[in-house]
Amino acid sequence: MNAYLPPLVIDVRVSETGARNFRIWLPFFLLWPILLIVVGFALLVTALVDLALFISGARYHHYTLLVLGSLRVLASVRGTHVNALSDDSHVKVDIY
Amino acid sequence: MSDDRKRILGMLAEGKITADEAEMLLDSIDSPAENATSATASSPSAEWPPGPSATGTPKFLYVKVTGGKDTVDVKVPLAVLRTGLKLTSLIPPQAMDQINESMDEHGMSLDFNNLKPDDIEELITSLREMEINVNSADGENVRVFCA
Repeated sequence: MNAYLPPLVIDVRVSETGARNFRIWLPFFLLWPILLIVVGFALLVTALVDLALFISGARYHHYTLLVLGSLRVLASVRGTHVNALSDDSHVKVDIY
Repeated sequence: MSDDRKRILGMLAEGKITADEAEMLLDSIDSPAENATSATASSPSAEWPPGPSATGTPKFLYVKVTGGKDTVDVKVPLAVLRTGLKLTSLIPPQAMDQINESMDEHGMSLDFNNLKPDDIEELITSLREMEINVNSADGENVRVFCA
């Protein structure tokens, strides 16, 4: 089940010489309820489409798995870290 | 002391980065030097980062750019590659044909229909042996590896 959990938090930090440090802490988990509704609806629709395709004898009837697979790709970005340091700036992005 | 070290320590002194971040950046600067000393008899799995994944399935893809004007440190979970490749087996055949045609037009003749789950695991496991090391004339070092 953990493999389907989307990112919890996205942390973006930008610091530049002579400018105020900037940090955004995006609580992605607050979007989970909306995502749950969207994914739930999409799964319902795709399950009906897959059933119809299966009954009609279509070779491809995996739209539900495609939606679940897409959710897994979204979940797998957790743990991504990007750190860029130049002469006058520092950008750091962490996805938890 | 190199310019990169001075810059990192300066940013730490100014409070722009934390001590942990400074340590990580200093480590990333140190790694090319280690590579240079072990370049003649290097085995990617024997180098940084050590740990359990050094002998098992790699977990992350690392891209490190050091020694030049900018220092870049990227760490991407290989789960993205694994799940992404598995997703290709679920793409509708019509869409897959279009993807394959488009890739073929761009010189990449790779048929994703032939990718099996076992092949994906084997591919990811074998990435542990891969290391790309580019040293430019201006001293910039780009290193791509999995661990």
